[in-house]
Amino acid sequence: MTTDLFDGYAPDDFFDEVFTEDASVRPHYEDLVARLRSFTPTELARRERLRDAAFRSAGITFTVYGEDEGVERTFPMDLLPRIIPAAEWSEIEVGLIQRVTALNRFLDDLYVGERAAVRDGIVPAWLLSSSDGFRREAFGVPVPRGARCLVAGIDLVRDAEGTYRVLEDNVRNPSGISYVLENRAAMTRVLPNLFGSLRVRPVDDYGITLLDALRHVAPAAAGDPTVVLLTPGVHNSAYFEHAFLARQMGVELVEGRDLVVDEHVVYMRTTRGLQRVDVIYRRVDDAFLDPVVFRRDSMLGVPGLLAAARAGNVTLANAVGNGVADDKAVYAYVPDLIRYYLGEEPILPNCTTYLRWDDDQRKAVLDRLDQLVVKPVAESGGYGLCIGPAATDAELAKVAEQIEANPRNYIAQEVVSLSRHPTLVDDHLEGRHVDLRPFVLTGEKTTVIPGGLTRVALRRGSLVVNSSQGGGSKDTWVLRDDDAKVDDGDEVT
Amino acid sequence: MRLDIRYRCAFEYGALVHESQNELRACPVSDTRQTLLGYRVTTSPASRVFSFEDYWGTRVDTFGVREPHIYLEVVAEATVETKSTPLLTTSPMFEALRGPAFVEEHWEYLERTPHADWNGKLAAEAQSQIDLTGPEVVSATLGIHRRVGALLSYRPGTTYVGVDVDEVLERGEGVCQDYAHLAVAMCRSVGIPARYVSGYLFTDRDDTGEDVDGDEVVVQTHAWFEAAIPGVGWLALDPTNRQAVGLRHVKIGHGRDYDDVSPLRGTYSGPRNATLEVSVEMRRLAAVTSAQAQQQQ
Repeated sequence: MTTDLFDGYAPDDFFDEVFTEDASVRPHYEDLVARLRSFTPTELARRERLRDAAFRSAGITFTVYGEDEGVERTFPMDLLPRIIPAAEWSEIEVGLIQRVTALNRFLDDLYVGERAAVRDGIVPAWLLSSSDGFRREAFGVPVPRGARCLVAGIDLVRDAEGTYRVLEDNVRNPSGISYVLENRAAMTRVLPNLFGSLRVRPVDDYGITLLDALRHVAPAAAGDPTVVLLTPGVHNSAYFEHAFLARQMGVELVEGRDLVVDEHVVYMRTTRGLQRVDVIYRRVDDAFLDPVVFRRDSMLGVPGLLAAARAGNVTLANAVGNGVADDKAVYAYVPDLIRYYLGEEPILPNCTTYLRWDDDQRKAVLDRLDQLVVKPVAESGGYGLCIGPAATDAELAKVAEQIEANPRNYIAQEVVSLSRHPTLVDDHLEGRHVDLRPFVLTGEKTTVIPGGLTRVALRRGSLVVNSSQGGGSKDTWVLRDDDAKVDDGDEVT
Repeated sequence: MRLDIRYRCAFEYGALVHESQNELRACPVSDTRQTLLGYRVTTSPASRVFSFEDYWGTRVDTFGVREPHIYLEVVAEATVETKSTPLLTTSPMFEALRGPAFVEEHWEYLERTPHADWNGKLAAEAQSQIDLTGPEVVSATLGIHRRVGALLSYRPGTTYVGVDVDEVLERGEGVCQDYAHLAVAMCRSVGIPARYVSGYLFTDRDDTGEDVDGDEVVVQTHAWFEAAIPGVGWLALDPTNRQAVGLRHVKIGHGRDYDDVSPLRGTYSGPRNATLEVSVEMRRLAAVTSAQAQQQQ
């Protein structure tokens, strides 16, 4: 006999990804729900074991900072995938391409252009030059084709109406794509039959697409460019992903000490001598990249690297100084930047954000701290976040003090009532809040990997989905448009 | 005044070093006060030099020496023509400092930076000058400039870059970098945008700035500061020598503080112990008559 996993499941007052307001299943989830309802508890347990075995064999871990420093653990994937229908996805896709195109234009304008957006009053100069992510040292460093955000991870959430909104942009070193690929690999073993019947768009060509994009931004003089991935090393929380991506692309995984600069050309030390390097997919943060220019104590970087990039002999991806574009205060200006550079209305709206507070506005925000989300502008990964409705009085008082001391360093946002998705908790399903980080690549053109990383807040009621904050993930299925022509090489997995 | 400048920096290491990578900021800028007529950089061991203009407008020469070496010498030679600048005849009031467009334009020169941070005592020193001069920007800046000269006595070798400006004030002595940082911090503490300037001074003594009889001197790099005067531009003052910047000052570049325009920075692999020798030779060239100048053209 089967027990219905969905027994007692309540969407409450949230937008639910699977159920409509009148508790019927959304059409694109019908197959999945029917399948899950057919599972016996034994069958479900078997699928969970399949998943766990898939991840253990892949050795996926994610280091969590803050709590147990340095402890490695898995970033758990929920058995229920998130499903996005074709029409919905195509709108998201267009919106993401639009946004990343504008961010690339903005960064190029700022670092090697006329700073037109500043000149024309779209974004204030002081806001940019006061951004922690703004690197004066990278001023004038060219990037072929202006592909400064070669890899972008744009975090989306759905509000109470189900509208997709941009929560934040990640254009420095966004991570998480390895989970997308590993989740998919695991899911094809956990729920093999559903992929065929649902016509799920594949994600497994990410490595090829990324390598293509990297080769595309090589200096013009490089004939058959050599690409490497530069990692800070095994102690970095995302080292697994660095190794994974290098393997996917078939390129060398190197550390700073493996590279050397000679006459403004970068070489990799190999057993056969020095080999010229043309493009570096660097997963080392700006501040550690080149001790001549940035932090002198950095052992992770390569002395002379930035001068080599400036001389046009090597391309760094992502570009140095991108942090100014994903500064959470600059975020508020992105819709205007889209209008300014592209002459288009933004397709994906921002979340309501308060910033650049004058004394009156700051006071109004301080009075409503218990209803708002406060974020430090330069942090990522959910660090330093304060969610008003969930915070204690002591926490709110501390945040108020921090804002008073340094208004530029914080933004406040209205709480978005994130959509929820049924998620397996022990032997039944409960609604858990989710977001979505699609990955956007810019090479010859800007493209989006179908889906992305759906992160889920595993704690009941929690709105923080970051893996560094104890979140989990879901495989994300983008369905193929039934009317669309099937391209060769884009077959159903 | 036409000057030949030869900046030389020599490292001698305790043992072989390799993979040295460097950035040099020694080239005089061309601006309204001076024109650069010629410039070249050579290194020994020889290296390929790649040059660019940085965010602040300063020419940067980058070079690396990979081969093992025990001695590294960098020589930058420049010829520059300095011009006299007209005296200031306007005197804006402090309100002008708060104009939104002025603040927006000079935002970076109003902030605290590592070498130009300040405490209450320093701010009080600056404020006391305004109490004396009144809320008038040029007078207040000149007051701060003179006050810095009075607060510090010149003592070569007393500090190295990295000492807090508060500590310099406490000690009451320093070198030209300290004078410049103190003046910059005092200006900013009262809302006058100010920037640090790195350059050369044709004089045989940093602490007097007096003219020299001969046509050649051997000196060190020098530092002074510039304050933004609303509606006018930058007022350049040399607090170490208690004088306005004039014909014998040759500017390399400016920044928020020393770190933005330090003459040489770099890294190498090898032993820590190294001796560094820096010298600046300056030669005053015979005045070119207008007839000669025409002939040259």
